Amino acid sequence: MEFLVGSVWAAGIAIGIAAFGCGIGQGLGLNGAMSGIARNPEAAGKIQVNLLIGLAMIESLCIYALVVALILMYAHPALKGAITAAFGH
Amino acid sequence: MRDIQKLVDFITTSNWLILLFGGIIGLVMTPMKFAFGIILGGLIVAINFHLLKNTLKKMFRPEVVSERGHSVVSNVMVKYYIRFAISGTVIFLLISKHIVHPLGLLAGLSVVVASMFMATVLELTRLFFKEAV
Repeated sequence: MEFLVGSVWAAGIAIGIAAFGCGIGQGLGLNGAMSGIARNPEAAGKIQVNLLIGLAMIESLCIYALVVALILMYAHPALKGAITAAFGH
Repeated sequence: MRDIQKLVDFITTSNWLILLFGGIIGLVMTPMKFAFGIILGGLIVAINFHLLKNTLKKMFRPEVVSERGHSVVSNVMVKYYIRFAISGTVIFLLISKHIVHPLGLLAGLSVVVASMFMATVLELTRLFFKEAV
């Protein structure tokens, strides 16, 4: 039972921290890009491309964290044993 | 400018190519669930990348930025959270219903990162050779 509770806690904390960090990172990136384009509109294309690559990287980190959290909750290799031990079926 | 646009085109094309080759290799060499994981994970991130590209192209034009100001940032963030919620739901269903193998899914979700890594390595190689000449 403790294992299951621990898994759920770990999953929740993992995705929480990841979403928090990714949100802040994306916000900062977008803010910088906005300021850059406002100051120098001719550089919009270059800024757009770099922003696209940066945001895609940040987004994939958050998706990885989500997958790890879901694995902890639903597809952990030791999950079946823990459920059997806790509930007896 | 053209060089940097080429980079995005390269990443977009190589996303689909890596997905195709990864899917074929997965279907031939790994169990069905693992191959499904690669294909579905790759599809999720490739479509996500396309949508992100369209959003940024639409929003980050000088006319739009000067007209809307900082509301562009919130617009992009809202769209990001909608995309993230949809892909999160899909991934949740895939893992909780045991439709795919989680490691295959992780491999599939790395398609965009892999193509960016490839693009970086190619750019660095080109830079080194340019300097050497």
